[in-house]
Amino acid sequence: MKISLSWLKRYVPIEEDAATLARDLTMFGVNVEGIESLAPPFTGVVLGRVLEVKKHPGADRLSLCTVDAGGARPLGIVCGAPNVAAGMRVAVAVEGAVLAGGLRIKKSKIRGVVSEGMICSESELGLSENHGGIISLDFDGKPGASLEGKFGQSEHVFDLEVTPNRPDLLCHLGIAREIAALYRRKLVIPDLFDLGAGGDFNLKIESGADCPRYTAAFIDDVTIAPSPAWMQNLLMSVGLGAINNIVDATNFVLMELGQPLHAFDRDTLAKDSIVVRRAKKGEKIVTLDGVERELDPGILVIADDARPIAVAGVMGGRDTEVKADTKRLVIESAMFDPRLVRNARQRLKLDTEASYRFEREADIGIMMDAAARACRLIHEMGAGTPSAACAELLDDSRNIERRTVSLRVSQANRVMGTELAGDDIAALLDRLDLSSRSYGDTVHVSIPTFRRDIMEEIDLVEEAARVYGYENIGRDESARCSIFSEVPAEDMRKDSLVGFLVSRGFAEVVTSSFMDPADTGRMGWDGRDERAGPLRVTNPLTEAQSALRTSLLPGLLGVVRRNTRAEQEEIRLFELGKVFLPGPERAGLPREELHLAALFARHSVPLQWMEPRRQSDFFDMKGELEALLDRLGLAQEAKMIKPHDGKGQIFLWLLGGAVLAEGGLIAKGVSEEFDVDSPIFYFDLRLDVLPPAGAGWPRFEAMSQYPAVKRDLCIVVADKVRYAEVRNIIKKQAQYLDSIRVFDYYRGGHLGEGKRSYTFRLSFRSSEGTLDSIAVDREVQRIMGALQRELGAALRTE
Amino acid sequence: MSERPDRFGVDDIAERAEKAFAEAVDLDALEEARVRFIGRKGEITTLLRSIGSLPNEERPAFGDLVNDLRERILGLYERRKGALSEGAAEEDYFSGDPTLPGRRVLLGGRHVLHQVLRDIKRIFFGMGYSLAEGPDVELDYYNFEALNFPPDHPSRDTQDTFYIDRDILLRTQTSPVQVRYMEKHKPPLRIIVPGRVYRNESPDPSHASEFLQMEGLYVDRNVSLADLRNDMTYFVRAFFGSDAKVRFRPHFFPFTEPSAEADMSCFACRGSGCSICGRTGWIEIMGAGMVHPHVFRNAGYDPDAYTGFAFGLGLDRIAMLKYGIDDIRRLLANDLRFLRQFWAETAGEVFE
Repeated sequence: MKISLSWLKRYVPIEEDAATLARDLTMFGVNVEGIESLAPPFTGVVLGRVLEVKKHPGADRLSLCTVDAGGARPLGIVCGAPNVAAGMRVAVAVEGAVLAGGLRIKKSKIRGVVSEGMICSESELGLSENHGGIISLDFDGKPGASLEGKFGQSEHVFDLEVTPNRPDLLCHLGIAREIAALYRRKLVIPDLFDLGAGGDFNLKIESGADCPRYTAAFIDDVTIAPSPAWMQNLLMSVGLGAINNIVDATNFVLMELGQPLHAFDRDTLAKDSIVVRRAKKGEKIVTLDGVERELDPGILVIADDARPIAVAGVMGGRDTEVKADTKRLVIESAMFDPRLVRNARQRLKLDTEASYRFEREADIGIMMDAAARACRLIHEMGAGTPSAACAELLDDSRNIERRTVSLRVSQANRVMGTELAGDDIAALLDRLDLSSRSYGDTVHVSIPTFRRDIMEEIDLVEEAARVYGYENIGRDESARCSIFSEVPAEDMRKDSLVGFLVSRGFAEVVTSSFMDPADTGRMGWDGRDERAGPLRVTNPLTEAQSALRTSLLPGLLGVVRRNTRAEQEEIRLFELGKVFLPGPERAGLPREELHLAALFARHSVPLQWMEPRRQSDFFDMKGELEALLDRLGLAQEAKMIKPHDGKGQIFLWLLGGAVLAEGGLIAKGVSEEFDVDSPIFYFDLRLDVLPPAGAGWPRFEAMSQYPAVKRDLCIVVADKVRYAEVRNIIKKQAQYLDSIRVFDYYRGGHLGEGKRSYTFRLSFRSSEGTLDSIAVDREVQRIMGALQRELGAALRTE
Repeated sequence: MSERPDRFGVDDIAERAEKAFAEAVDLDALEEARVRFIGRKGEITTLLRSIGSLPNEERPAFGDLVNDLRERILGLYERRKGALSEGAAEEDYFSGDPTLPGRRVLLGGRHVLHQVLRDIKRIFFGMGYSLAEGPDVELDYYNFEALNFPPDHPSRDTQDTFYIDRDILLRTQTSPVQVRYMEKHKPPLRIIVPGRVYRNESPDPSHASEFLQMEGLYVDRNVSLADLRNDMTYFVRAFFGSDAKVRFRPHFFPFTEPSAEADMSCFACRGSGCSICGRTGWIEIMGAGMVHPHVFRNAGYDPDAYTGFAFGLGLDRIAMLKYGIDDIRRLLANDLRFLRQFWAETAGEVFE
């Protein structure tokens, strides 16, 4: 919200410069987000020296002045100010100057005498409302020097962040009240018109809940004209345009007291009546912005006897607005149910200064004063004659009384960490117009209606803390620590897995939780796949971000695409994050599963001189997954299977009955959907099916002290045989097997069609003694026998 | 000899020679260095030839000096040659060129956001905080109502929300975990809650529609605003350096009262005002406050028996500040050239 410094000064003395005030307000809880300096609202005004003053031949009250304004010859200027005198240094608006309020200076005849400019008063320069006489300047300078920026009075406008709990700060008086409390200064309340209730008018409210208070003030003999320059300048400084004296006066009160007002042309009201009621279904109104809007019973309207004339708290209607020929006015100052205003604003998509304030709840205590203030301003401007009696309906008069809220001094000190006395706290609160009296441990506080955010003790504690100053609260002793850190073992395991993958050359990435619903098709997930039915966001930013991810893969494929385009040659990345699967888990919320997915693309090793480069392949992926399972202590338990309906080259790793991981080649069609034309391998591990972390500690086992005996074994088997079968037989047969490695694998070629060979290095070791070659030979024979029997294997010899 | 003034400006030759010999990785390189210093056209020879330009009475001293120098360099050369020859006598283990790059595996690294999260977690774990987590897809009740945001209240407008349906939304803050955790645990408790949060805002360089936040909550019998300031000051100094200052400004959050925003002194300009801190000398880093009694009641705690504080940090913002990242959207874009910049282990030690 915009607040102008010179406007504030109408209600509270401020000596501080704008930057100091901004800093102090911010530390007081009124956050100043920016300060804008506006140039003084005039151009073309120069310093002049009055050389001679003579009577105007045709008018007693005018003088003819000769003024040195820096030009080749002095100017002749007609001046009406009583205080003009020879020798005075004055502000001269020369031909072409533009004054506050937009007046452009031309050479003109005044009562028959040519005037070549104008000697200015403060009001004409927009410096104040004082137009009683011309300004006498006391600063040095040559005649003709520009006066722009010379008054040090150029306007400063603060951009304030007002939090939703403090609607009372949405106006200049409210901010001035904070400043008065901050600097302990006296607040000057603006003058009001002497307004009383009892006016004769046909005013009706259907529901006191919808509209707890409504005040209608009346103005006769209206003369529509521009408002004075000072008012226009203040309104413009906070971003409101000047319209006419009546509208400007109501806007001025809005920005001054925070109460939105609306002026109706009284002669346009059917049967001179106003009723506040719910709109009827299908009822229509053309609002001030010229748009026809359809209403419904969820919207509160102001109506006359015939039709709606305003959307309550949002915007007035065009039919009843103030026009150039308006003669009589009804000025509305009311309070509406914030929820109804919010509803209307959302339904009609109509954000206004009024709706903003009504939604945050108007101050029910100020309706009459706000109307009286508008009457006063209108009266002072000569824009109309206010009636001394207004019409008013107040649903419950208790609502406009001060409430009492109490605070326990001990509790306040406990929350703040201070040792203040009751009187100290009362004095702090008093500064905010929260009149307080302390008795023992209790402070009773009388709450004005504009502080409707203060409902209970804790609200007062905050106010006390704020005035006392957060910066004055603090203890010297270091923080207590009676509670000790508990870090879930799962979190530590997660961190260690990440550390492991990082050391294996993976880049950790973090991608969006959102997914493009079209990705389910791109990924080729069919209807039976849970991942094909993501949760949808009802109000997404874009279609591509309208679903929640059911898998980390689409996001990671996007990362591969981006980095392929960026010509990154080795791509090895992983993400550890949540996926969201429909199917309620608890209280209607979806299942959130923690996954770890890794992708392998392009080259798997850096380009270097000592070895050839390699493309990432299936076994890169499998090796890293196996290493990860080893780290998790699951290398033995996890079983790799080929799923029955498995499309393409995808495998599952099962743990117990659950799927622990999926991995393989991203189908070519899928990679192409993501604009990547080289093969991409992946695994996707579910962390939530892992056994609890930190449960089993490894147990030490003594290592054998005896030497190992190694034998290499090369066998040829039919092409349909798999390594896993061979390994299982070897393991089953051997008694002293210590380790088994396959270090060569060969298919076809000189073996002949339909054959393959594996070469193993077997290592045998006993924990009871050194194995002799006879024992090892026996082991190997037993293994070979079983392989021949069960798989038809033959020893390869050459 | 060393205390003698270096009258002829020649003493550094020996040092340079020693350095050159040390840098020679094999005998060939050493020979090249030897020639440069004590070869027939080397620096020492050149120096000796310059003797002619000296006055007669200076010549003997100068001659002695240069000869001493030559002896010293020769000694250094012989020592180095001995060391290199020992290696050379064995097999050539470096293919004739030990300056070739070593065999490398790929370098990996944590994402900068998670690096920041890890560093911050470590600090809070050290202070006695435990870890808690909650769902991203959350009930309206926990995200708003239980946190004292009334339905249809403008305070909800400050957090534009993504909805799944009427009652279910994407959490806009990590604060819902406060009530969830308190429902299940009795005080005293002291937790941090990192997690992703969502705001329905059009992205720009400083706003993202999803980002990482970390909540903190401390509840016990006499937790005060003073404790909050102490903990936050400790954290900021531990993370940003021991000269960082913290200030608290009053603010509003529905679920805390008194509420505050905390600023830290700008690490770039040290408080004098620069473009990073918007010329104020301060940078906003968190929201905080004393847990509102309504929130305690919603969680089943007695607000007269317990007090507590809560705080929330935006980790994306902290990462951006710490590393000078210009656009929040880079964080989820995952360009490897971006990610690699933060892989070096530069995580600050506590109170470096």
